[in-house]
Amino acid sequence: MADTGITDDRSQADGRPDELTRSITGRLLYFYVLGDVLGSGIYVLIGAVAGAVGGAFFLAFAVGVTVATLTGLAYAELVTKYPQAAGAALYVNKAFRNKPLTFLITISFLSSSFAASGSLASGFAEYFLSVWDLPPVLLITLAFLLALTIINFIGITESVVTNMLMTFVEVAGLIVVMIIGVWYIAQGNADFGTLTEFNSEGSPILAVVSGVALAFFAMTGFENAANVAEETIDPKKAFPRALVGGMISAGVIYVLVAIAAALTVDVGTLADSDAALLEVVKAGIIPVPVGFMTILFAIIAMIAITNTTLVSVVTQSRILYGMAKEDVVPSAFAKIHPTRRSPVFGLAFSFVVVAGLLIVGTLLNRAGAGIDVVERLATVTVVFLLFIYALVIVSCLKLRGHDEDEDTFRANTPLLIIGLVGNLVLLGYVLYDDPASLWWVGGLLAIGVVLYLVEVAMGSRNRPPGAERGDPGIAREGDR
Amino acid sequence: MHVVIATDGSRESLAAARHLQSFADPAKITTITVVAVIRPLAAVAFADELSPASRKGAGAETLSFREAARSAVDTIATELRKWGPKVKTKIRSGSPASEIIKEAELTDAGLVVVSAGGRGLTDTVLVGSTAQRVQHYAPCPVLVVRAAPRGGSRKRSR
Repeated sequence: MADTGITDDRSQADGRPDELTRSITGRLLYFYVLGDVLGSGIYVLIGAVAGAVGGAFFLAFAVGVTVATLTGLAYAELVTKYPQAAGAALYVNKAFRNKPLTFLITISFLSSSFAASGSLASGFAEYFLSVWDLPPVLLITLAFLLALTIINFIGITESVVTNMLMTFVEVAGLIVVMIIGVWYIAQGNADFGTLTEFNSEGSPILAVVSGVALAFFAMTGFENAANVAEETIDPKKAFPRALVGGMISAGVIYVLVAIAAALTVDVGTLADSDAALLEVVKAGIIPVPVGFMTILFAIIAMIAITNTTLVSVVTQSRILYGMAKEDVVPSAFAKIHPTRRSPVFGLAFSFVVVAGLLIVGTLLNRAGAGIDVVERLATVTVVFLLFIYALVIVSCLKLRGHDEDEDTFRANTPLLIIGLVGNLVLLGYVLYDDPASLWWVGGLLAIGVVLYLVEVAMGSRNRPPGAERGDPGIAREGDR
Repeated sequence: MHVVIATDGSRESLAAARHLQSFADPAKITTITVVAVIRPLAAVAFADELSPASRKGAGAETLSFREAARSAVDTIATELRKWGPKVKTKIRSGSPASEIIKEAELTDAGLVVVSAGGRGLTDTVLVGSTAQRVQHYAPCPVLVVRAAPRGGSRKRSR
């Protein structure tokens, strides 16, 4: 018996046959990407985009999704080379081997995810208020975030099926808007002239660029797909298809929804509304009671936003967990709840940071600073992401010729360069147009630096004298 | 008899494997499959608290839950190989309870070994723990190993 044990040991070490089962098929991944992208912006930001561009705001969505999809190509190539959960930080580390830069990317990604959660939570509150407008906004957003944190702690999000059902609901909501648009056109009321109208101030090109900068938030979320890369069946084939397919589907849906909204509702009304897609439903174009449709649509919008926010909460605690393992933030973030197997401290910390952002935003607003928290946080998210996306494309180009085999997906180089330029132009515009966003960017980055300093101050007690930070093979006192 | 031992990377799951060794007759066990289940959509898809190497190795830059699961099953498999029976390892992904049951069905297992998991309010009322679901739906007997009474070792010492 002992002999078989040993021979088995060897054969296991060599081939390790039939032990890989992965659970995420290409189709599930497609819905994961689609659900992540769709929820994140259109429900929340379409009014702001319409206000920035004018009737032709569908162009902003079209351009935005193009730049994002080009970035998605770089992601697809890198994911097929390195199918691990770490995403952008991993790619930048592979390409540049520069610790501070990797740290910066990780913190930027974390910060963008915090800002996105805050923005989405505020968007959720606005749809919630249209159903029941009693509770104060801040209370709803905080309760919403707390509920998602608890859901993630318990682990309900594990279900891939739940995720897919939520995506169906999201798409259904947008199809409702499109049906209203088609109905309106069929009635012959549509004025297609609206679609070529631009905001009267300034040049059309600048109007579109400013719209893209806002609409870009709606295209984000696809980068979270790297979270599930390791568990995708046949990632080299499935990943590029699902990622690019999901983004293009989202783009087509966005453009059609934007056209439907522009045709059916006055652009000024859209721009002034906090929950702009509801205005389309409220216009009472299809012969279904408006009251019923409003509530139904608001619920759909809330589900859509919930789906995306759930993923971003998962991403935050995952990044913190990885950083704690790396020993750049305090080890408490790597603490796993003994039975639920969730990073309790990481989830709680994310909740506190996002809640803090929302409270600060609300207080500044009360103090008369006139800040729209949703738009502000959306811009901050976009600043971080454009920076990360640009660097991911550069990493992709730099890693050409490394770790490749015959079935690695290879993105088209000219397209990647166009994507890179697009990201940089947008980044330049956002910073030029809204330099104040740098304060928020700096504030969020400071959280990362504080965490690092806490680790430096506390962590040295955990390490034997002379040991390097992140040195593998050192077990900590608490681990023994 | 084929035995499936499930691990979630926790010390309790290693204790469960040891508990099996403490009373079972290795001559009657033909094969043991050590299975770990990765939860791709959970905040931490798999956390390995067993193998010394993984306590530091994987970090923010190289985060690989598959490697974590790999080292967890290997740690338990290495212990079991000293005991006698042939040991296989398997990593699956999805919902832990249903993947453990699938593995038991696939290997035509005669016994499934799991650690008890929690007994708090959230575990029993809200979702039910993995161990409970495995007990309900497994195609064979299930050994649920309870850890030593709470706070016996680590918690009280802090």
